Amino acid sequence: MLFIDLLQSIADGLLFGATYSLIGIGFTLVFGVMHKINMAYAAASVAGAYAGLTLLKLAGLPPLLVIIMACLAGAVFGLLTYVLCFWLIPLSHPLATLMSTVGMLLLIDEIVVHLTAGMPVNYPTVMGGMVSLGSFLLRGDLMFIFTIAVLAMAALMYLIYRTRLGLATRAVSQQPVAAQLCGMRLGQVNALTFTISGALGGIAGSLIGSAVGLLSPLLIAPLTVKGLIVTVIGGLGSIPGAIIAGLLVGAAENVFQFVRGVTERDIYVMLLLFVFLVFRPGGILGADPGRN
Amino acid sequence: MLELRQLCKHFGGVRAVDQVSLRVAKGEIFGLIGPNGSGKSTTVNLIAGLLLPTSGRIVLDGEDISSLATHQRVARGIARTFQNIRLFGQLTVWQNLWVAENRDRQQRAQPVMPRWFWGCEGDRERLGIALEFSGLAHKRDDLAANLSFGEQRRLELARALASQPKLLLLDEPAAGMNAQEIEELDARIRRIRDAGVTVLLIEHHMELVMAVTDRIGVLNFGQKIAEGSPAMVQNDAKVREAYLGTAAA
Repeated sequence: MLFIDLLQSIADGLLFGATYSLIGIGFTLVFGVMHKINMAYAAASVAGAYAGLTLLKLAGLPPLLVIIMACLAGAVFGLLTYVLCFWLIPLSHPLATLMSTVGMLLLIDEIVVHLTAGMPVNYPTVMGGMVSLGSFLLRGDLMFIFTIAVLAMAALMYLIYRTRLGLATRAVSQQPVAAQLCGMRLGQVNALTFTISGALGGIAGSLIGSAVGLLSPLLIAPLTVKGLIVTVIGGLGSIPGAIIAGLLVGAAENVFQFVRGVTERDIYVMLLLFVFLVFRPGGILGADPGRN
Repeated sequence: MLELRQLCKHFGGVRAVDQVSLRVAKGEIFGLIGPNGSGKSTTVNLIAGLLLPTSGRIVLDGEDISSLATHQRVARGIARTFQNIRLFGQLTVWQNLWVAENRDRQQRAQPVMPRWFWGCEGDRERLGIALEFSGLAHKRDDLAANLSFGEQRRLELARALASQPKLLLLDEPAAGMNAQEIEELDARIRRIRDAGVTVLLIEHHMELVMAVTDRIGVLNFGQKIAEGSPAMVQNDAKVREAYLGTAAA
């Protein structure tokens, strides 16, 4: 029975981990292109999920569409983050944008707390049922968020690896000077990257909300930390790395919770990060060696 | 075609480029030479827009481009290669060329989505020509990082041509090449000029410069000390002094 329970917690963790993958991709995408960390990313994602819900209610649309609304709102917040924290700030100073995004993280957090009076709001849950295979259960809502997350990742991979826009982002990340001489505007490519990562963040935020059934400002801090952990474990700048690491962290977290309880869980997640930093600091799929 | 008027670039107290005036005529291969640290690369960076001048003007086909951004200068027909090769290492040969293909800016008539997603009609044919020129057609889908040094130089040159420039800036294209490769490079540069592209060549390899250029400008300590045909420049006392030191002059 214990074995089945363990398997169950791994499966649930893997399915939920897909949302961590999305958050990790958002961090890694911006890092890959600009070599900067956007600390406000998870906060903007959660804000996107809130704004998506608000839009949904205003327009009176069916609950399933909350993901699309959150995706749009997330894209707007991503672009806004770029303009406020990067475009207006001198990029040459290594710490300036880091601090501006930390400021943005706190600002978004405060705004969300203010607008919701600090109370969690109900989030539409989609596909509440279960599929049972003997004593092994697959939660419908988790399978649903996993499917949506995989679709979003597939769309992103197509965009990055199969289209001219993606080609532009990869060129800029590998060789910004040469990319400029190929006629590219770095500002445009950066803005595009932030918009795309914001859209992914909005999707991730709404998926988390619908899996939990609630959306709370308390989500922002742990999600920021998890996103950074996933990015580091996956390898800064590596999209496939972030996907694998997100699933890994999701599964590991759930196993830790199963074995040691919910209050101890995050201690072991941090230890996992520590183990990676010591033994594999470049992450699972270290960064692109293409920058020479 | 290209005119530099009293161009200056100062870094703090250092006058990297000091009152340099030059004219490069259309269809010409113009050599820019000088000892190390004489301001050649800075001049090229100023022309390409990677640096902005402290004072002076850069005029391309009668238009003052001194304060334009790099992408605007690219749109006006300037392309360059780098002394230390700057390819997109994790992109394939074909993709490296495709990045430089910027016809889509001029083809606004075509709908945006397909342009941004899959490029324009005619990309394939135009890039095919650039690929053919690079001699790398058989390595079309190899990553640029996996090419040999000589192949990388050829690909960088082809990429610069893929943006269909009027003026091509070559920054030490012969660096690290053997005699046979330099001979091929000589032929390549002539082919580029014959195709109607004006070439500004920065090079240390004197045999190549003397053989391929129509006219030469010489820089020393950021100032132009001579300009003229290869023969004239070779016999110029100031040039000899700059290269060999006062004693040998």
